[in-house]
Amino acid sequence: MSTQTKSPSIALDYVKTIGIVNNGFNGRGFANPYDIVVDDNGRIFVLNRCDPLRAAAIRVGICDLDEEYLGEFGKGNGTGDGQFIWVVAMALDSQDRLHITDEHSHRVTTYSTSGEYLSHWGKAGSADGELNGPAGIAVDSSGDLFIVDQHNSRVQKFTVDGKFISNWGSFGGGDGQFNLPWGAAVDADDNVYVADWRNDRIQKFDNDGKFLAAFGSSGDGEGQFMRPTSVAVDSEGFIYVADWGNERVQVLGPDGSFQLILKGEATISKWSEDYFASNPEEKAERDISNLVPELPAHLNTPYHISSQTEPYFWGPVSVSLDGKGRLYVTETNRHRFQVYQKR
Amino acid sequence: MINNDTALMAHLLRRAGFGASRDELEQYLAMGYDGAVEALLNPSHPSNMPDDLIRRYHVEQSELRDLPGSAAYWMYRMISTSCPMEEKTALFWHGLFATGYAKLNQARSLLNQVEMFRRSGLGSFEDLLVDLSKDPAMIVWLDNNENHGDAINENYGRELLELFSMGIGNYSEDDIKECARAFTGWTLGNAEYMSIRAAKDSIWPYGRIAWHFDYREEDHDDGEKTFLGETGRFNGEDIIAIIVKQESTARFVATRLFQFFAADEINEAGEKTVQDMMATYFSSGYQVRDMLRTLFHSDYFKSEEARFARVKGPVEMVVGAIRMAGNYQNPALGIEKVSNTMLYMGQGLLQPPTVEGWHEGEEWIDSGALVERVNFVAKELSDVRSPGVRSIIDRLAASADQGVLDPADLADGCLDLLGPIEVSDETRSVLVEYASRQGDLDLSGHQPGDEAEQRVGNMLRLVAATREYQLA
Repeated sequence: MSTQTKSPSIALDYVKTIGIVNNGFNGRGFANPYDIVVDDNGRIFVLNRCDPLRAAAIRVGICDLDEEYLGEFGKGNGTGDGQFIWVVAMALDSQDRLHITDEHSHRVTTYSTSGEYLSHWGKAGSADGELNGPAGIAVDSSGDLFIVDQHNSRVQKFTVDGKFISNWGSFGGGDGQFNLPWGAAVDADDNVYVADWRNDRIQKFDNDGKFLAAFGSSGDGEGQFMRPTSVAVDSEGFIYVADWGNERVQVLGPDGSFQLILKGEATISKWSEDYFASNPEEKAERDISNLVPELPAHLNTPYHISSQTEPYFWGPVSVSLDGKGRLYVTETNRHRFQVYQKR
Repeated sequence: MINNDTALMAHLLRRAGFGASRDELEQYLAMGYDGAVEALLNPSHPSNMPDDLIRRYHVEQSELRDLPGSAAYWMYRMISTSCPMEEKTALFWHGLFATGYAKLNQARSLLNQVEMFRRSGLGSFEDLLVDLSKDPAMIVWLDNNENHGDAINENYGRELLELFSMGIGNYSEDDIKECARAFTGWTLGNAEYMSIRAAKDSIWPYGRIAWHFDYREEDHDDGEKTFLGETGRFNGEDIIAIIVKQESTARFVATRLFQFFAADEINEAGEKTVQDMMATYFSSGYQVRDMLRTLFHSDYFKSEEARFARVKGPVEMVVGAIRMAGNYQNPALGIEKVSNTMLYMGQGLLQPPTVEGWHEGEEWIDSGALVERVNFVAKELSDVRSPGVRSIIDRLAASADQGVLDPADLADGCLDLLGPIEVSDETRSVLVEYASRQGDLDLSGHQPGDEAEQRVGNMLRLVAATREYQLA
């Protein structure tokens, strides 16, 4: 279901839900997914952050839109080669390499899309090129990387191999300033967008870091945000925002104008059908349950509503796009993603 | 010589909070005792580690699928709150209305119950019992979702009377049945599906689904009931209105509050205070806040015999030490291990052993638990990099004559700044003798982590191992 209160120039249709909880390193399913990228072959790479109890299963899972589980890779929890502690985001470069940020070990790890560990780089600190909590990551058309350096309140630009190019930003709420920024995206013109998480806005910069615009303010109204985590921009310039604190996704026009809201409408994934086929008594009760209930006033917040309303987004940390007009919304608390198609 | 105002305020903050650093203690001293009591009982502008920060870094505390992350989530709140009485009150009711994760497999709803204790725990006991009876975690914990109009389940009705209000011996078996009838239809949304998920510990397909209260009128027995001598077509609220009028309920609430906030044992002077609290219970319309005000202003509470008259519970022990050391002020890996430490000491948050809660007082201490307690606190307080320990070192240095402390000054200074803690002459002499082995301590020009600072850390570690530190 999408809420459209103005004449939109964009429409999105719900396609399907993919996912099921899977705590281990053992096949289909996800564990607190945090980000998605989709390659030109339609392979969907899902970055699983995992909780501390299951940290050994930190991994990238691969599936496709037909819900075929194609494999997974990772080397577990830690600071060794290819290992992770708190993964945040992922970017795919033109040479089929996945660059994955780790906000705890302050580094970027590179894997091939076939799951081969290639390298890691990053040094903790605040000097040029050093990182303190790398979060969002995006690649521009030249192949350079933009990394949101959250605790240093800046964006840093690197070559794809991690050589420092430039940076911008400082702590604060003014233009070009950040407060615990998270996600990043690059548009077709190589402009850079940053989900300025604790300032409840999206900031737009040119490729050299010149401030261009800021969209949004704190709140739950249309065009307002509560801790936006992720941003993506399609070929027409529409801006998709994971409005995490409001447990929703918003789409803005290229000029930042509000377009529509998605709240989520998850359905049973193929993998979930397999589960219910083996647990028919659970399915029978589920089928006569109201999974979109009315809640008492003290639970009437986006977080509580989503904790009790399974179809809705809960913990929508990431929005991702493919080249075919599809939007992928990653829900870390529900171990799944929902797919929408642009009309 | 310990200033009595300071000692009394420290006593109040150990009971109405988790102890206090010297900075906190001075803030409350500036209010005066009466002002401090009111500030604690009427918290305004509470602040604590924000949920958005916790959820961003701890996926397990955002989803709250499992016990360790959920207990850690509450730990953060206790560690970082500016209103410790709010958390202490929630902990009190959590122990009294003991609801455990193991049967529920639903931590979010258990934490919603804790939030209800924060919201209602200092208000009317009548309202609190109504909220408790509508709490989905309690409903599943004591099977009220199985309490139907045509087939009652007495479990909740029985415990409501026995463990949550009047106490055994003050009602009949018939009263239990009538009570249970009145609560038929009090259930949770999608009760059948949620019951299956809870019983199977199902997290599939998409994680937990939190619970909410649901009243099923068609499943409620609307017939006439006779309860404690009164007759009517009672619903649950009517039963609670009768319960809270009983003298036995007043005694039950006053006694349990006294034992948690004042002393493990009730002596003659304590009994007088309990009776005063009972009188307040009735005169205030069952207000818990007013009963606690009566307690905190009582001669007994202010007397020296009330000080250190309770064994610290593991949660008080761990949270108090972390707050004193100033650690975990931001989300950090490892907090779930800290909450596990409390479990090893005998008090796992959100996992009371039975509906009767924990056995408190001296039962907290056995040889295994004691080792855990001492080791944990010693580690927290001896880390001279911790901000709270650094503050202690700075205060010691500022208090010293030209930065030099003799062994007695070092021991007394540490005892003072960790409490003040009143210790026996024997304990003090051990501390002083230990300090004497390295002579006077020169803190002038001290640097983070240097040998002089480490000597302070070692003394704090030793104080943590004293008998007196185990008491609140």
